[in-house]
Amino acid sequence: MAQFSLYQEESQPSPWHRTWEEFRSSHVAFAGFIVLGLFLFVSLFAPLVAPYDPLQQNIDALLVPPSWEPNGTVSHLFGTDALGRDVFSRIMYGCRVTFGSSVLLVLIAMLVGVTIGTIAGMTSGVRSSVINHTLDALMAIPTLLIAIIIVAILGTGLVNSMWAITLALIPQFIHHTRSFVRSEMKKEYILASRLDGAKPVQLFFHSVLPNMIEMLVVQGSLALSVAVIDISALGFLNLGAQPPLPELGVILADGLDVAYVAPWNVGLPGLTIFLMVLAINIVGDGLRSALRRRLTH
Amino acid sequence: MIQILIRYATLFITTMLVLAALSFSLAYLFPGDVLVNLTGITPQNETERAALLRQFQLDKPYLFQFIHYVQQLLQGNWGYSFVSGLPLREEIGIAMPATIELSAYALFVAIFVGVPLGCYAGMRSYTKRDYLINSASMVSYSFPVFWLALVFIMVFSLNLGIVPLSGRVSLLFDVPPTTGFILIDIIIAENTDTSLALNDALYHLLLPTISIALVSTASVVRLTRRSVIDVLKSPYIAAAESRGLSRVQIFRRHILRNALLPILPLMAIQITTLITNAMIVETLFSWPGIGNWLIQAIYQRDYPALRVGMLAVATLVVSFTILIDLFNRIIDPSREKYERGTV
Repeated sequence: MAQFSLYQEESQPSPWHRTWEEFRSSHVAFAGFIVLGLFLFVSLFAPLVAPYDPLQQNIDALLVPPSWEPNGTVSHLFGTDALGRDVFSRIMYGCRVTFGSSVLLVLIAMLVGVTIGTIAGMTSGVRSSVINHTLDALMAIPTLLIAIIIVAILGTGLVNSMWAITLALIPQFIHHTRSFVRSEMKKEYILASRLDGAKPVQLFFHSVLPNMIEMLVVQGSLALSVAVIDISALGFLNLGAQPPLPELGVILADGLDVAYVAPWNVGLPGLTIFLMVLAINIVGDGLRSALRRRLTH
Repeated sequence: MIQILIRYATLFITTMLVLAALSFSLAYLFPGDVLVNLTGITPQNETERAALLRQFQLDKPYLFQFIHYVQQLLQGNWGYSFVSGLPLREEIGIAMPATIELSAYALFVAIFVGVPLGCYAGMRSYTKRDYLINSASMVSYSFPVFWLALVFIMVFSLNLGIVPLSGRVSLLFDVPPTTGFILIDIIIAENTDTSLALNDALYHLLLPTISIALVSTASVVRLTRRSVIDVLKSPYIAAAESRGLSRVQIFRRHILRNALLPILPLMAIQITTLITNAMIVETLFSWPGIGNWLIQAIYQRDYPALRVGMLAVATLVVSFTILIDLFNRIIDPSREKYERGTV
């Protein structure tokens, strides 16, 4: 019955290494990874690579078309907007604001969600059941609604919209952590550590958490794509970041006034959001299938 | 069975109470006067103010205030809007059905296009056609819905002029809002040309529905595909194959039902995304739904409207979610409570 799975190589690759190998074997996923890396690079080094200041207005160059149009110039790669600001630089800074704040808020949501989820997963009884079910139901409240309420209480602004999205993302992390911890607590290796006298805190950090990291990365990538779309949607609706700040949704909403004469002001920021979300989704999907392949082989 | 029903009823009531408490506390959290936030009535002088405070029991402890608030909600006194001065119950009564209608059509499209496509891709998994469907769904899943709707407007309304830009039905048709659902209203309405009006309303529906449905369809395709692939791996499919059943028979008898079961709870999560997208798209198409209404309310800082609007939308979404969960528990008692499918 037992099938021997002898490993021919000298060294045994770690689980992470094997996942990475599986991930790299898919070309689409790897291309998405490179695009995502590009976005990360642009968001980190926007002040160094952007050709212009994103807020600098230029009355001599209003609504210059992008460089591939007949009357566009190469000095403004993506053209300029109604105030003569360089769209390319604005989009670069926009990536910085949108992508950066999304990453930050996903990390906060993950931290809070994992903490509460672990406590909920390790305890049991009526109280835990009530909390769990109510949370599940509250999880259904749309982000936009939470954002509207937070804006009504605190006023508009990027940070306030970030709080709203964080609040909306937390229940999802709680849910996944809770079911993971719950199923993991029933396994033998946890029992073994517990018989060795491990306290719940030790049990979590030494036994459960290392196994949970992969699930967290996958959930984090899902949450990141939601966060990018939500942040830009709130910016677009004028409920999040406010106009002078180059946020991709805000740039898109700015371009709306001149959409008919200068469609690139709407098209390009939207395309950037789309590409960013697509890259995140492709990487997330690639990670998930890499994990699945690693676990089945 | 009865135990499950009782459990879900308790859950529903608890959640509603939590939501009502949230909505009540908003009156205190919003800037401005609590009395005005709670009722929407601005008192003209001190005596009127004192009388109103007594009428709404705001001079009593918080707990009694809250009980009175819940009573008022149940009786249908939801307060008045700052801006229009109309009772909020009436305004929401008109706006809510418009959103439900739009989301229902989008959900309809998502299920009737998404499930067959997903099943097809799952049955032919890891072939060229599967990759095609899978990547198409990945692309349409990544569209930011507000941008997609804008592109649709620019291409189909402004450049090609095929479909109207905004609203639910041309103003030439006189359709009184009886139920709030435009298609039903048109059929009920007298002295309008029903078929012309229906045609016009469908044209108005086309773009908003497609922009919402595209994202939801993509996720339904992906969920169905994954679920079918998982079911295909299970031993009972191998058993059925060894008995000599044809592929169509296996699909009809063994795969379809088992694959659709784990998707159902995920649909509940999809409804949240769907309603959020519907609310965003409404503002772009000037669709007179609850999303548009709420966003206008926040622009004008209409706090009473926000307080009740939040409660109404949250109640709608939460009851849908709990109903789907309950339905899922009843048709499939073998599943564990916390188990859910994956993408």
